[in-house]
Amino acid sequence: MKYITTINDRKFEIEITNDGRLIVNGQPREIDFLPLGETLYSLIMQTNSHEVVVEQREGEVEVLIGGHLFSGRVMDERAQLMASRRGGGFTETGEITIRAPMPGLVVAIPVTEGQEVAAGQTVVILESMKMQNELKSPRAGIVQRVSVEPGQSVEQKKILITIT
Amino acid sequence: MTGELSLNKVKKVLIANRGEIAVRVIRACRDLGIPVVAVYSDADRAALHVRYADEAVHIGAPAPRESYLRIDKIIDAARKTGADAIHPGYGFLAEKAEFAAACADAGITFIGPSPYAIEKMGDKQTARETVKKAGVPVVPGTEPGLRDEELIAEARQIGFPLMVKASAGGGGKGMRVVHRAEDLPESLATARREAESAFGDGTVYIEKFLVGGRHIEFQILADLHGSTIHLGERECSIQRRHQKLVEEAPSPFLDDDLRRRMGEMAVRAAQAVNYVNAGTIECMVDKDRNFYFLEMNTRLQVEHPVTELVTGVDLVKEQIRIARGRRMGPLESVMEPNGWAIECRINAEDPYNNFIPSVGRISTLITPTGPGVRVDSGMYSGFEITPYYDSMIAKLICWGDTRSEAMLRMRRALAEFTIMGLKHNIPFHLNLLNSFSFIAGQFDTKFVEERFSMNTYQEPPTDEEIEAAAIAATLVADRNRRLASQVVNANTRDTSNWKWLTRYERMRR
Repeated sequence: MKYITTINDRKFEIEITNDGRLIVNGQPREIDFLPLGETLYSLIMQTNSHEVVVEQREGEVEVLIGGHLFSGRVMDERAQLMASRRGGGFTETGEITIRAPMPGLVVAIPVTEGQEVAAGQTVVILESMKMQNELKSPRAGIVQRVSVEPGQSVEQKKILITIT
Repeated sequence: MTGELSLNKVKKVLIANRGEIAVRVIRACRDLGIPVVAVYSDADRAALHVRYADEAVHIGAPAPRESYLRIDKIIDAARKTGADAIHPGYGFLAEKAEFAAACADAGITFIGPSPYAIEKMGDKQTARETVKKAGVPVVPGTEPGLRDEELIAEARQIGFPLMVKASAGGGGKGMRVVHRAEDLPESLATARREAESAFGDGTVYIEKFLVGGRHIEFQILADLHGSTIHLGERECSIQRRHQKLVEEAPSPFLDDDLRRRMGEMAVRAAQAVNYVNAGTIECMVDKDRNFYFLEMNTRLQVEHPVTELVTGVDLVKEQIRIARGRRMGPLESVMEPNGWAIECRINAEDPYNNFIPSVGRISTLITPTGPGVRVDSGMYSGFEITPYYDSMIAKLICWGDTRSEAMLRMRRALAEFTIMGLKHNIPFHLNLLNSFSFIAGQFDTKFVEERFSMNTYQEPPTDEEIEAAAIAATLVADRNRRLASQVVNANTRDTSNWKWLTRYERMRR
């Protein structure tokens, strides 16, 4: 089985052959991979010993190794094929949504619909875990829609502001 | 007086708190052979402090206002379980004079200072006035209760930068540094809003901001027999938005002379309110070594373990001893700490994303151990971190013979600490320990915000680590795919296909 695995935007072509060999970008690799628990693994590459945590969530995979947390994606041949038929990658819609990164209380919305905002400008103040957190616009644009109002409690991932 | 005091038996302690500090107090009680009662909200039914306690009483909904801040429910819980003493921990009701008084009225020993001392020190302005009379230096500032126009006028006298502070404040809430006169009105509004929501009191005042100032505090212990001592200082200048992130004892900035003079001042400040039990005198020290009283925290501090590790004193045990009316263990101030201790606060906050809080279930937890390592934590694998309470989920404290040894141990322990399921600030601590300024002890309270970046000291992953991550992710995905499509029979091949792969590799060698 061939996989295309992306870790922190780096692509690896990894093949697991029917007789159990592992080939990474055309190079055979000697590895010993031992599950230790539900998400914990011990990986020995040559003689280098790594402790690895692998967790899958929402189509993505998170890997913790040597204190570094990587996020990535593993696609098999069929998924690759489908992705390439769609023209690969995702298209920019031009619209970005600011969502609540955690449940909380909307304290203030310092912007109004139709207003121009700069990258890094605070668009929502959300209180959670006793702290007031400033949510900033990731890029410059125009506030298209304000979907919440001050005083409102919001669930995680609730759309707060839409910017175009 | 002693005859009456010996009546405070302390046979069962109720802990009016949650999280790591509740667990910490349970441990001290266990060491003393005292049974403990936990209280919990709906959000904490599965919390560690409930699991560890002898008895547990449900006190209401997740919002603190409806549970951990409900004096009536907590006193009821003590009555119901026959607890004759209450430990308040830190935060919640720990610095509410009303709570200490309610305990006294109910005939329950409050493990902490008198309502009088809490009242005097709890209001920052009254505290300033009180210690000033005892000859303790304070930072120049205004009295509280002034209207915005008056504060703006006073600000011109004091000069910029200055600090807006909530009168009822603590933990950085309702606190703002203002550099320019034109920013003052907005900062006053934000501070009032935060103070109103956090403490139900929007009263603020302003204070001169000391440039290059360090936050250094002294641990105080005082008993009912007239002894008041200090256990040396803690350096708490590594902060972000006035929230301490790293604390150490001793401070790399103090020498013996400054420690002696500040210690004497701290003891005088505590005596000014007839302080009894454990407390902390917080000071600002400017770059010219002038020191000023900032405030007194009339409770156990989050960072108390660093003092415990360099003095050998169990502060919670001493608190209980003092509350029982006994003489405290140590009788003289600690002038020479033993070795060095550093604490890193492990917060559920994403250091790569403006330290935004993160919630979720702890999916994997590996806790560091080994020489010189202590972990105070309220979590376990499978525990859910909710948005209702503070984002601090654990404290990692390391001891070493010297500051360098403590730092190296901290780096090792941080690398061992594995927490998955939510974002946390361990990467921040690792980067901080790589920073030359921190290693050299050259920092002030603005260091993290103004001169530290997650990128500067980041150790990039090696190529091998990235490849190892890709291989591990792929092998796990491959197994899951096989299981899902039933290419293999789950019962016979679930883990054995790994062994098979492994065996194959071994055969080839």
